[in-house]
Amino acid sequence: MGAQIKMVSVAQPRLGFHHVNSIRLSARAAGQCLDDASIDPCDIGLLINTGIYRYRNTGEPAIAALIQETIGVNRTTAKDTDNHKNTFSFDLNNCGCGLLTAIEIVEGSVRSGEIDYGMVVTGDAEPFYRLSNEFTFNPAAAAIILAGSGNSNGFSMFRTYSYPEYSEELVSSTFYSNEGWRGKGRNMLNVMQKASYPDVCVDCAVKSLFKFLDESGKTLDDIDLIIPSQSPLGFTDKLKKRVGMNGNLIEIKKTGNMVFHTAGPAFALKKVWDDNRFRNSKNVIFLTIGAGINVSLALYQN
Amino acid sequence: MDWKCQIESIGVKIPGTRVTTSELMGKFKTPCIKKFGLLTGISERKICSPGEDSFSLATDAAMNCLSHSKYRADELDMIINCSITKYKDGLSHLYEPSFSTLIRNNIGALSAITFDISNACAGMLTGVYIAEKFIRQGIVKTCMIVSGEYISNLCDHAINNITTSLSSEISSLTLGDCGAAAIIERTADKRKGLIISGFTTLSKYSDLCTGRQNRNSPGGKMKTRAKKIHQAAISESVPIVKEALNKCCLSFNDIKWLIPHQTSRSSIIAGANHYLNCFGEKPGQIVITLKDTGNTASTTHFFALHRYLNERRFSEDDNVMLLCFASGLIIGVVIFKMNEIVYRYGSTN
Repeated sequence: MGAQIKMVSVAQPRLGFHHVNSIRLSARAAGQCLDDASIDPCDIGLLINTGIYRYRNTGEPAIAALIQETIGVNRTTAKDTDNHKNTFSFDLNNCGCGLLTAIEIVEGSVRSGEIDYGMVVTGDAEPFYRLSNEFTFNPAAAAIILAGSGNSNGFSMFRTYSYPEYSEELVSSTFYSNEGWRGKGRNMLNVMQKASYPDVCVDCAVKSLFKFLDESGKTLDDIDLIIPSQSPLGFTDKLKKRVGMNGNLIEIKKTGNMVFHTAGPAFALKKVWDDNRFRNSKNVIFLTIGAGINVSLALYQN
Repeated sequence: MDWKCQIESIGVKIPGTRVTTSELMGKFKTPCIKKFGLLTGISERKICSPGEDSFSLATDAAMNCLSHSKYRADELDMIINCSITKYKDGLSHLYEPSFSTLIRNNIGALSAITFDISNACAGMLTGVYIAEKFIRQGIVKTCMIVSGEYISNLCDHAINNITTSLSSEISSLTLGDCGAAAIIERTADKRKGLIISGFTTLSKYSDLCTGRQNRNSPGGKMKTRAKKIHQAAISESVPIVKEALNKCCLSFNDIKWLIPHQTSRSSIIAGANHYLNCFGEKPGQIVITLKDTGNTASTTHFFALHRYLNERRFSEDDNVMLLCFASGLIIGVVIFKMNEIVYRYGSTN
């Protein structure tokens, strides 16, 4: 039995809200996803959060546990009911590839029959309001529910390719600055991206894509849709020029210099989910790229 | 084919600087805590010196693990970093690239797939849970789980903020720094494989222990309602432990070693007594290793395993249970039979 995408939902801050709590935003996407899929929250057996930039840089508990609490998924062990299910949740960080890595873990659990439904949630927002340099990621969150397909439809192959020689192309970290308000220091988030990063990403993505196609026994002509990462800025434009595919390589409309980070592929999926192109495509490739540089790909068949 | 997995080797890195409990208590301007060492069973903890951080602890632990392993770094298929803290170059928190990517580059495991997970003190056992999934499905043969916890900075924050013995930051005083790593490998021997069960997040209790970065000072802070989280963990874990034992057809008497999460001596003993009342039986020995290292967060179980392996306390075929309680509230149980790893550690003298 395969595992297929049951539902995808996305969330963005409401107009006028500049500083966003990434946990609330992720929980909103997750709650919407459950509603749209008409699934009882208690049927979710595994919940993984893959957002990187978290509200106030919360270290513990895992953000996934806070999302689980907000949307009311098996909050405790129900000792009185016979059919009570347990939910396990944790956070995963694989930069831009996190969504697909988490999907791979959930897919394995659904395929083996260990759980009925699994959910992957992701959301990024500036951790502390105005305490960052070069933070160009749109506050955005997304949730995807996976369920058994009952046949061979769904995800059929996952691969990750690494390019360690480019591990310093994008580095983001906090540093302590003494130049705070009223002489108080502050922890600043600093995102350092080399100018060559988008081009390097495209090179790695193209190399990985063709390696993946070779391994899956497919050609580019067999692929109906490519759902890629939406960051770094200019990545999808350049990828389109190199790979072709034009309208079938899904791009999200940009707002200035801001890009969708870990939730980018889910936003692209939502676009083709709503216009039914996803369901009507036989072979779909998910292509995600993240700092490291790692490229994760998955083949999805309808 | 459904593969089984087993622990192949374990490595640990303990930082060199030692801080005793009495030295720590001496830092308070007004003495407000009495008998802290007696209640927690912690007489000292090891903390990072300048130049040490989560990254150096994790990397050194990974190297130590490889020195006990039959595998070379380039034979590792996957590396999962499981630490809560991701401090590199002092107290600079790294978001991207993932910690595991940098560890991979440092130890030379260039063909390994990498990603980080974070699940509070259950991090490394969650790593085992994920490694088991990838190995069982035949995706990887070897997986290193690694964690470097630089959490002694929480203690510094607590010292400046605790004014009474009821402070929510008291638990921060139990913390010590440590790095740990383990290689999980595929095995065809079903008898010796890991049995993983009961990984559950009871999010109703997610607000009982929270830790986050400080806004205006380096490092972080942790607030815990220690009594409540202890009570919830002990009472809620009974059916989960029972289920895990049933799954592998064992009773508590068959467990030779129980390694719980190392928080404080009194809470471990209280938990053991509760289990004795509920199960009517008890494991052979309950491992407590926090006397000279304190609570080292996600690394506690593998630090305890490493220490007891070096002391040659385990015998082949001993049943070991790793029991984790972590903020979230996460309860997880891992049961396994000791394998030939017992012959590769410690000295015969």
